Formats: sequence, structure tokens, C-alpha cells
Amino acid sequence: MSTTVAERRTPRGRRSRQWLGYLPYLLPGLVAFTVVILIPFGMNVYYSLHKWKGGNAPMRWYGFGNYADLLHDEKFLTSFQNSIWMIVAMVVVPTLLGLILAAVLFDVLGKRFGPRTASVLRATYYLPQILPVAVAGVLWNWILNAQTGAINEVLRSLGVENPPNWLGDTTTALPTVMLVLIWIQIGYPVVIFMSALQRVDPELYEAAELDGAGWVHRFRAITIPQIKPETFVITLTCTVAALKVFGPIYVLTRGGPESSTLVPSYYSYLNFFDKSKVGYGAAIANVLTLLIILVAVAIMVLQARSARREEEGH
Amino acid sequence: MAHQRSKRLLAGVAVLALPLALAACGGDSGGGDDQATSGATTFTIWDYENDDSAMGQAWAKAIEIFETEHPDVKVVTEDQTFEQIQKNAKIFLTGDDVPDIMEYNKGNATAGQLASQGLITSLTDVATERGWDTTLPASIQTTAKYDEQGLMGSGDWYGVPNYGEFVGVYYNQDAFDQLGIAVPTTFEEFEASLKAFKDAGITPLATAGAEYPMGQLWYELVLHYGDRQLVDDYQLFANDVDFQGDAFTQATNKLDEWIKAGYIASDSAALTAEDMGVSFIGGTYPMMVSGSWWFGRLVEEVPFTWGQFLFPGNDLHPGSSGNLWVVPENAKAKDLAYDFIDITLRPEVQEVLGQAGGLPVAGDSSTITDEKTRELTENFENILGDDGLAYYPDWPVPGFYDVIVSELQSLINQSKSPTEVLDGLSTAYFEGKTDLTEG
Repeated sequence: MSTTVAERRTPRGRRSRQWLGYLPYLLPGLVAFTVVILIPFGMNVYYSLHKWKGGNAPMRWYGFGNYADLLHDEKFLTSFQNSIWMIVAMVVVPTLLGLILAAVLFDVLGKRFGPRTASVLRATYYLPQILPVAVAGVLWNWILNAQTGAINEVLRSLGVENPPNWLGDTTTALPTVMLVLIWIQIGYPVVIFMSALQRVDPELYEAAELDGAGWVHRFRAITIPQIKPETFVITLTCTVAALKVFGPIYVLTRGGPESSTLVPSYYSYLNFFDKSKVGYGAAIANVLTLLIILVAVAIMVLQARSARREEEGH
Repeated sequence: MAHQRSKRLLAGVAVLALPLALAACGGDSGGGDDQATSGATTFTIWDYENDDSAMGQAWAKAIEIFETEHPDVKVVTEDQTFEQIQKNAKIFLTGDDVPDIMEYNKGNATAGQLASQGLITSLTDVATERGWDTTLPASIQTTAKYDEQGLMGSGDWYGVPNYGEFVGVYYNQDAFDQLGIAVPTTFEEFEASLKAFKDAGITPLATAGAEYPMGQLWYELVLHYGDRQLVDDYQLFANDVDFQGDAFTQATNKLDEWIKAGYIASDSAALTAEDMGVSFIGGTYPMMVSGSWWFGRLVEEVPFTWGQFLFPGNDLHPGSSGNLWVVPENAKAKDLAYDFIDITLRPEVQEVLGQAGGLPVAGDSSTITDEKTRELTENFENILGDDGLAYYPDWPVPGFYDVIVSELQSLINQSKSPTEVLDGLSTAYFEGKTDLTEG
């Protein structure tokens, strides 16, 4: 009888000791997560259920009123529509272009001019990523200024009488911001894809070459499937970045002209800080958070499915 | 009570944890006798003026006097940026590590918000006791007082200005002379000069659609067609404003007319105030409608003969007191803050402001030696004498600045009619007013 009890107790005791052993490693992360993410998120949800100016001003319970108000807020809807364009500019185009650039740098230029040339070019593409966004914003404002900007000066010298008002016209502002975002973003996939390409077994390419496969065929049949994990990582991180993009919008257009480049994070900021509508700003931030979580989970599920299919040999 | 305490605790954690959560509530409301001597040995001042600006020079003088009168107190000055203080005040003022005195922007959307959030100290008793209520002109006092909802013009004193500002017209005398155009003295002459420049192939007005200049030009026109009652209705919520009424409609139609006539560059929607100033200084445009804050820079940088005049035909002008000295509710040395404010209003400090073109609110322009500076100060004194300060168009409700910018960009780009622009302004104004008055 006593033996049975001892047998039962031992594994449970060992398990709890094991758990205790991991605790010192988990605790800092848990505390940081709680303080930096969980509590503020809880507070943000709490604020979003109130009308509140901030500071020591009284809070007025508003239930889901702020969320209901969002449904009728044209600017809020515009900001989310613009998010789709941000995804195009920060995920779709840079990933496609980055893939092609990385392949060309690695496969063609790297082989013809040596790895050092490829590295220099890779660093050049990555430069906008390390440039502070405020600096990049000032730089692009100089280039794009309708009256004194470099581009329009060139266009005028070529005889164009009315060059585009890049950031000042509702029809050109969003595409122009998107171009700047592509410029900022492109280096990130290039760097990741190039390191991914180094991971691919060269024998695969050699075998394909012996079988008579051309560059395009090798790119489609070997490169793209081999670097799928990195593609998922880029898609996930860039989509999250695109949904919460703030800095470039702040320094380039402040959401204008006429809200044509408004994005959710900037709209939330406007309500928080300029309008002192803390509850409403919190509600926008929460909707954005929810959307980011949903999109991130969807991408991770797709990634897991793809990995499973690969393991199963499909 | 318990609910309040737990709210404070939670808010405190949030302040530490996530800037976006804005955090707050809480904070000890000060308590005790603010007038009593704190016995503090350190006095901390936060401001965002350049050291070589008129204000910077005057405050350096004030600090010098303060240090002589308080030899045991160490003065610590911290340079902030306008944006830093503007955007973050409502977060850091909930904590205990706050300055003893701080420069802050005036108006419903700014100082009014801090006042209604209980973050800055009521100065009513001190203002009476120290005579600030008689030193400062009436139209300057408007921006110093805020009611419980944070609306300016009535209620308690929450800030004290010691300089002023107004919007007028800067002009390039050489450009006028070259084309033989007379400097306008009436609104009709002003329009005639705009046309004369345009006919000569020159866009007459430097402006900027992405920031405040275009809104101020629009407001000059509103004031041209409006009166003091309209200003009180619009800024102080004395009565409901009709955006489709005469003054707003005529002003917006006139601006639209000027845009169509090419008096304003059609590609100015995304330009900043800096772009406007630089292009005026560079001689591209012969006129610039903007504030007295440009004066010092123009003196330094303009390479041609230039002058200034008040917007022709207007009795009312955009302008106000300068930024305010406010005392945070959690400040530790409030008595020293009151002493410092007192010093900034003394003649010797006001004179430094005046000589440097800083528009003193309690000074005497006759002592100013530089002719241009004296002219600027006299213009300001005339406005004050006529009760002509009409504040700024974006002041009535928080967030209105962005709305004005956006709507007037539509006008520059001709993507909206004046009626649609006024509808847009009206909607935002009344939404903001409801938020302000209902809390």
C-alpha cells in the first residue's frame, strides 16, 4: 500500500520540481509580458469603454459606445482602407521585388562579380532600414516638395509645366507615400532572402543545371519552395508593420491631404493626443490590435499547414 | 473612494507600462497651502523657446533676477520641444516628478484641457494678490482663464502670459517698387495689389496648406466679414455659430476666388509653414500673411527691403497672448513659481522682450530703439487698445487644427466647394463642442 502511494507521488513531485526548475527562466519574461503588454492592454480596453479626456478628468461609462461610434466614422473606415494599401506597399511589393533582387544578387551578380559586390549592394538596399524614419521623412520631403523638391525641379527643367503635387494632391499622395514605404522596406526582404539562399543546398541547383533547367525554371522549382519559411516570416512581420505603420505617415503627410493617407495608428494618436478623446482613441487602438492578432494568427496557421504538407511530402 | 484609489493605482501602472495607454488619473491634488513657502532648494523650469529668441533672452534676465532674490535656491532649466510638451503633458503631469513651472500653449484645446483634467494649479488667488489681474490687458487675460470644462475666457486663472503675438502681412518692398504697386491700406487696395502681381506673372501670396498658415489667412477673411460677437460665439461658445452664415460664407468664397485667380499657388496643399517662410525670404512671393513669431527671423535673414502692415480693413486680427506659464498641480515649489511669474512681468524683463521684438504685454513701446521692432510693437499695442485680438481659428475645439488643414487643402486642390468645406468645418466644430461641454 505504502509502495503504491510512493510510486504515485514520485512522478508528480518530479514534475513539480521540473516546473520549479524552469521558473527562474520564465519569470522575467512573464513579468515583462504582464507589465508591458497585459496590464496596459487591459487598461486600454477599460479606457475604451469610457468617455474620458485623460489626466485627472472624470471618466464617464460609455459601454461599447465608442466602438459603435467607430462604425459610423468615415475617417476610421478610410484609415482601414488605407491599411490595405500599406500592406501592398510594405508586404506585397517589397517581398516580390526583394525575392527577385536577392536571387539576382546571389545568383547572377554574386557569381559574376564576387560575393563582396553582392554584399555591398545588399547593404545599399538595407540602408533605408537603418535610417531613422524622421530623417528619411525630411529627405523625402525635400525630394517631393511640390515647389522646391528635386523631382519637380528636374521635371521642370525637362519642360513639364505643371509637375505633380506629390504629397499635396489626394490622387497622388497615397501612391507617393507607398513608393517611399517600398523604398524603406525593400532592404529587409533582400537581406533575409539572401541569407536564406545561402542555406539552400547548391547540389540541388547543380543537379537541376545538369538536367538542363534554366535560371527561371531553377528559381521557380528550387529557390521559391526552399525559402518558404523565410517568406512566411517576412510576410508576417511586414504585415504587422504595415497595419501599425505610424512614423512615415507622421513625418510625410500627417494623414493628409484631406485624410487621403490616414492610417489607424495615426488616427488613434490624433484622438488620444490632439482631441483628448482618450476612450475613442483607445477603441481604435483595440480594433487595430485585434485585427493584427487575427492576421498574425492566420499567417501562422498557413505557415504551419504548409510545413505540415511539406513534412508529409506533398 | 476605494474605486478612485484602485483607478489611480491601475493608471499609475499603465503610465509606466504603455505610453499609448495614456494613463493617468490619480496624482495627489496638492493639498496644503499653495501660498506657504515651500522651503525648496531647487526650482525647475521647463520651456521650449530658443535661448536667442526674445522670450529666451527675457527669461534669462528673469532667472538672473530670481537668483539674486533667492540666493539659496538652485534654478534648473530644462529645454523641451514644443511637440514634446504639447503631446506628453497630460501623461507626465500625473506623476510626481514634474517641473515647478512650465511653458504651455494656450487655448481650449491645450491649456484648457490640462485645466479641466486637474493637472495644473488654479492661480486666481495669486493673480489677485499679486495684481496680475490689473497688469495684464483684458484681451490677454482671456487665454489665462478656463472654466471647469476647459473653455477659455471665464473661470479660474490657470496660466500667465508675459508676451503677445498677432498675425499681419509681411511684404517685399522691393517687389512692390519694381512693379510700381502701392502698399495697400484698404482691403480693396489689397485685392488690387494681388491682381497686379498676378497680372505681372507673380503669385502674390506665400502660404502653406499642410500647416497653420492657410487657416490663419482664412480666419483673417472671416474676421474681415465678421465682428466681435462672431468671435465670442465661435471661440467662447457665447451662441451657436452658423457656418453657412454671412461672414463664414463670404470669407470662404473669397478665399476660393483668390485660389481660382491664382493669388495662392495651386500646389501649396502639402507645403509647411517653413516652406512658406523660406519662399518669402527667398523673394519668390511678395507677401506673406503670418504671425509676429516670424519677425526675428525675417530681421536676420531677409535680403531685401521689407515691411509689415496689419491685414487691411480688419478691426480684428488672429492673435493672442503668447504661451502661458503654468504651475503643475504636483509641483513642489509653487511659491517660487509665483515669484518667477511676478518677475517676468516686471518692467526690466518686459523691456528685454520689447527690444528683441517679443511683444511685451506690460511694456512701453516708446523705449524701443529699433524702428521696425517699435512698429511691430505699436501695431500690437493698437490691436490691444482696440480689443482686436481674435485668437486663432483652431482654438475652439480639440483636434480642429487638423480639420481646418484638411478642409482648406480641399479648397486649394479645388476638390470641394466652399459650401462643402464649411459643412466639414461645421460638423467637426459641433462634434468637438459637444465632446467638450459634455465631457
